[in-house]
Amino acid sequence: MNKEYRTKIAFSSMMKRTLPILLALLSTISFAQDWIKTGTGLGVEKVRLAVPDFKPVSSDGVTAALNKVFNDTLWLDLSNAGIFDMVSKSFYPLQAPSQPSEVNAEAWANQPPNAGMLAFGNLDAPSQDIVVQGWLVDVKNPTSPPVLAKQYRDKATPDNARIIAHKFADEIIMRLGGGIPGIAETKLYFVSNRTGNKEIWQMDYDGANQKQLTHLSSITLSPRVSPDNSRVAFTEFGKGGVEIGMYSLDLVRMVTFPHYGGTNSSPAWSSDGQHIAFSSSRSGDPEIYIADNDGRNLKRVTAVKGPDVSPTWNPKTNAQIAWVSGRTGLPQIYIMDTDGTNVQRVTDQGYAVSPSWSPNGQFLAFSWTRHYGPGAPGNQDIYIMDIASKQFVQLTHDSGRNDFPTWSPDGRHIAFQSDRNGRWQIYTMLADGTNQADLTKSGENTQPNWSSK
Amino acid sequence: MKWSMLVLLMATIMVLGACKKKVQPAPPPPPPPPAAPTASLSANPDTIQKGQSTTLTWQTTNATDVTLGPNKVEANGSATVSPTDSTTFHLVAKGPGGTQDATARVTVTQPPPPPPPPPTVSDEQLFNQNIKDVFFDYDSYDIRADAQSAVQADAQFLQAHPGITFTIEGHCDERGSTEYNLALGDNRANAVKNALVQAGVSADRMKTISYGKEKPFCTESNEQCWQQNRRGHFVYGK
Amino acid sequence: MASTDIYAERDPLSTPLGLSVALHGMLFASILIYGAVIGHTGEGWGGDITGGEAMSANLVSNIPLPRPQVNTDNIVANESKGLTQSPPKAVEEPKPDAIPIPEKTIKKPPKPIISRVTPPKPVEPPPNVVPFGQGGPVSGPYGSFSVPNAKGGFGFTGSGGDFGSRYAWYVRQVQQKVSQNWLQYEIDPNVGNAHRVYITFDIDRSGRPSNVQVEQSSGVPSLDISAVRALQRIDTFGPLPGDYGGSRVSVEFWFDYRR
Repeated sequence: MNKEYRTKIAFSSMMKRTLPILLALLSTISFAQDWIKTGTGLGVEKVRLAVPDFKPVSSDGVTAALNKVFNDTLWLDLSNAGIFDMVSKSFYPLQAPSQPSEVNAEAWANQPPNAGMLAFGNLDAPSQDIVVQGWLVDVKNPTSPPVLAKQYRDKATPDNARIIAHKFADEIIMRLGGGIPGIAETKLYFVSNRTGNKEIWQMDYDGANQKQLTHLSSITLSPRVSPDNSRVAFTEFGKGGVEIGMYSLDLVRMVTFPHYGGTNSSPAWSSDGQHIAFSSSRSGDPEIYIADNDGRNLKRVTAVKGPDVSPTWNPKTNAQIAWVSGRTGLPQIYIMDTDGTNVQRVTDQGYAVSPSWSPNGQFLAFSWTRHYGPGAPGNQDIYIMDIASKQFVQLTHDSGRNDFPTWSPDGRHIAFQSDRNGRWQIYTMLADGTNQADLTKSGENTQPNWSSK
Repeated sequence: MKWSMLVLLMATIMVLGACKKKVQPAPPPPPPPPAAPTASLSANPDTIQKGQSTTLTWQTTNATDVTLGPNKVEANGSATVSPTDSTTFHLVAKGPGGTQDATARVTVTQPPPPPPPPPTVSDEQLFNQNIKDVFFDYDSYDIRADAQSAVQADAQFLQAHPGITFTIEGHCDERGSTEYNLALGDNRANAVKNALVQAGVSADRMKTISYGKEKPFCTESNEQCWQQNRRGHFVYGK
Repeated sequence: MASTDIYAERDPLSTPLGLSVALHGMLFASILIYGAVIGHTGEGWGGDITGGEAMSANLVSNIPLPRPQVNTDNIVANESKGLTQSPPKAVEEPKPDAIPIPEKTIKKPPKPIISRVTPPKPVEPPPNVVPFGQGGPVSGPYGSFSVPNAKGGFGFTGSGGDFGSRYAWYVRQVQQKVSQNWLQYEIDPNVGNAHRVYITFDIDRSGRPSNVQVEQSSGVPSLDISAVRALQRIDTFGPLPGDYGGSRVSVEFWFDYRR
C-alpha cells in the first residue's frame, strides 16, 4: 500500500569515535566473542520511555496541524503498545530536542523524568510534502549510538502524518520489544449495522478510519481477512441461502466463491493462506469442512451429530483446529488435528464459544460463561487458556457480556465485543486484561477480526 | 386451314357416331326380386359432451352383410362409442334383396366452461392459518413432546394440500453467540424437516434455512420473548 | 484532625499514654498481618487466582508483556553499566513491627501509621522473582553452589564498551523475552529449595537464538529442561543493533527458581 520513505541518517562522526574502541577491545582478546550475562528476576520492569512532542521546523499553520496529528498518534501508539512505561509529559525538561546534538541526556535520565529511552525529532512540511526525522536514544548510556535514526517523507496530508507516526512507533516497538513487529499499521475487520443492515467494515487498530466495505443490504457476519490482506471472507445471507462470501480488498468489490448448499458460515484462513475452514450443514448437520483457498477440494473434518462451528487454526503449525461443538449439549471448545483425529475437549463446563488461537500457538482466547443455568447465573467473559497446561485466566469482569476475542499479531493485544454500555461495541485491551477501551460508538459493532500484518 | 380441319373432324365424328348406334335388344325380364333388407340405426343419446359416450343400436332384416362404418357387425346389435367430434354413423345392410343403409348422427358438444371457482381462501392463506410453528427448549433442537402434535397437524395439512411448497426457518433467542446460534438454528430447521418427512411429507417440497438470532420475532429480554424466538418457522412458497 | 489536647504532654499521663499507643501499634500490626496474609483477594498477576475450581494463573508470565512492577526496594533494577549489581541489599518487607511506636514523641498522631498501611498493596511478587535481584556470581542466601567467574570472553561486569553497556536496551529485551517464555509449571512441583541453572546460547545478527546448552546444571532435571524449552520457544530477539560490528553475541543466562 504505502511506500516506505525512510533512510537511515549516517552518524559517521559517531562511528569514527566508537570504531577505535571496538578495535582496541577486539585486539586485547583473541577469539573474542561478546558475552551477555543476565538472568531471570532482574528487574523486569517496562522500559521508561519519554516522547516529547516533535518540533515543527516552520511555524505555519499547516505544519502545526500535521505536527499535532503526528504527535498525538505517536504517543497513542507507544502507550498502547503495552511494553512501555510512558514518562508523563509533565516531568519533561522544558527544552525538547529536535536534533541529537540538542539532547541533554542527563536531564532526561535523572529524576524527575528518570527515563530510560528518549524518542524525539522534528517535522517539516516543505512544499506539499511532509518530512519527519526521528531518533531513539538510550539516555542512561548516552555514549552509545542511537538505537534508531529514521527519516520519512510523503505527501502532506493528515492521513500520511498518521501513517508516518505509525511507522516510527512500530520501529521503536520492534527494537525495544524483542523483535516482534508493532501493530500500529494493522487493521480490524468487523460487522456494523449503522447503515441499517449488517455489513462488513474496516478500521485502523486504534479505531480511526472506519469505513464500509460491503454494500449487500442483507445480513453479513463473521469477517476474516486473509493473511496477505487481499480478501475478506465472511458469512453472507444471499438469494441462494447462507454461503461464504468473499470481498476483494485489492479490487474493492465482491468476488465469487463456491456455494455448497445448506448453511455455510464462520470461515477461517490458515496462517499460510492456503486453506479455509468453515462450518457447513450441506449434509443436514453443521460440520467443519476444509477447502483450498479458492473453495475447491472440500473435505469434511467432523462427523458428529450436533452443531459444529467457529473453527480457528493454530497459526504456528496449521496442523490443528480449535472449534465449538454442541455435541454434548451446551457449546464447548475442542481441538483436533486438521484431518479430524485427536479430538480433545478444552473446556469442561458452562457455555464456551468463539475461540481464537494466539500467534505464538500457545493460547486460546475465547468467550466463556462458566457458571451456567438457572440459579447459577454467570457472566459471559473473555478468558485465555494455556493449551498445554489447561490453566486459564479471566480477562473481563463485571462488565456486561463479552464475546468474539481476536488476537493481535504481536500477541499482546486482544480486541473483542462488549455490551457493557448498553449496545454491542468493539473494545481493545492488553492480553493481560488491562487498558480496556472502546473503539466504536456508532450503531452496533460486533465480531472483530485482527489482520495479521 | 385449321377451320376446315375442324369441320371435317366434326363431320367424321358425327358420321361414325351415327353409324355405330344400334338399337339395343330388350333386356330379359328380371327374376322375381328377393326381399329388400331393412336397416335402422339410432344413437342414444344423440347429443353428448366431448368425452362422454353414446350407445348405437341397430336393427336389420334380410341382410347378410352388415357394416357399421368400417366394421362388420351382426345383424342386430349395439355398441358404445365415444366420438370426439360430431359424427354421422353409417350402417349398411347388404342382402340379396339389395342394400339398405341407415344413419345416425351423434352431436358432440364441447364441455361447458367450468364454472368460476366459488370465492374460497387461497392456499397461502390456508397455509398461514393452519400451519403451526415448532418451538424448542434452550440450546436444544429436539422436538419436544408438546411440539410433536404441532408437527403431526402440520404434516396432515401438508398432505391434504400436496401442491404447497415451503421453507422452514430456524431461529434462536438473543442470548447465545452469533455463530453458534446460526448452527443451532440450522439444526432446528432440519429437525422439523426430518420430522415432517417421517410423517410422510415429501422432502422435495421443503427447504431449510437458519437465521440464528438475526431475525428475532420480539426483542424483550425475558423468557416469554426468548421462547417465542426459539422456533422452526414455516414460510409459504419459495 | 485530632484534637491536640489528647497529645498534650502531661507527665502524669506519659506511662498510660505510652501503653495506649503501644496497643494501637499492635492493633494496626495485626491489621497489617491480616491484610498481607489472609486478606489477599482479587486477581494479582502471577499470583494464584483463588475461588471455586479456578486453576492458578501461572500462564500469565508467558504473555509477551512485561510483568507489572514489583514493589521491592530492588536497587539492582538499574539499567546503566549493563547488569552489574552492587552488593545485594536486604529488602525490607514492610514488617508489622517496623511501624515505629512513638514512645516519647507523643506529639505524633497515629496518622503516619495509617499511611504506612496502604503501600503494601496485594500484589504478590511473581513467585519466581528473586527479591535480591542477584546478578553475577552467586553469593545469595540460597547459593549452595559456586560458579566460576566470568565464563569465556570478557565478563560483562563493567568491561567498558562491551555489548552489555553499549546496548543495555538489547540486553534487557533478551532478559524479558526469556523470562516471559519460561513456563514454571514444567518444573517438578516437588522441588523445594531454590535452584539455579545456567544456560548458554548464541544470538545471530537476525536475532535468532541457537546453540542452546546447559552450562551448569541446577541438579534438578526438570528445571534444566524448562530453561532449555524457554529458549526453544523463541524465534527471535530482534535483530542485533545495526551498528554493532560482531556477527553474533553469546549469552550466559541463569534461571533462578524458588518455590
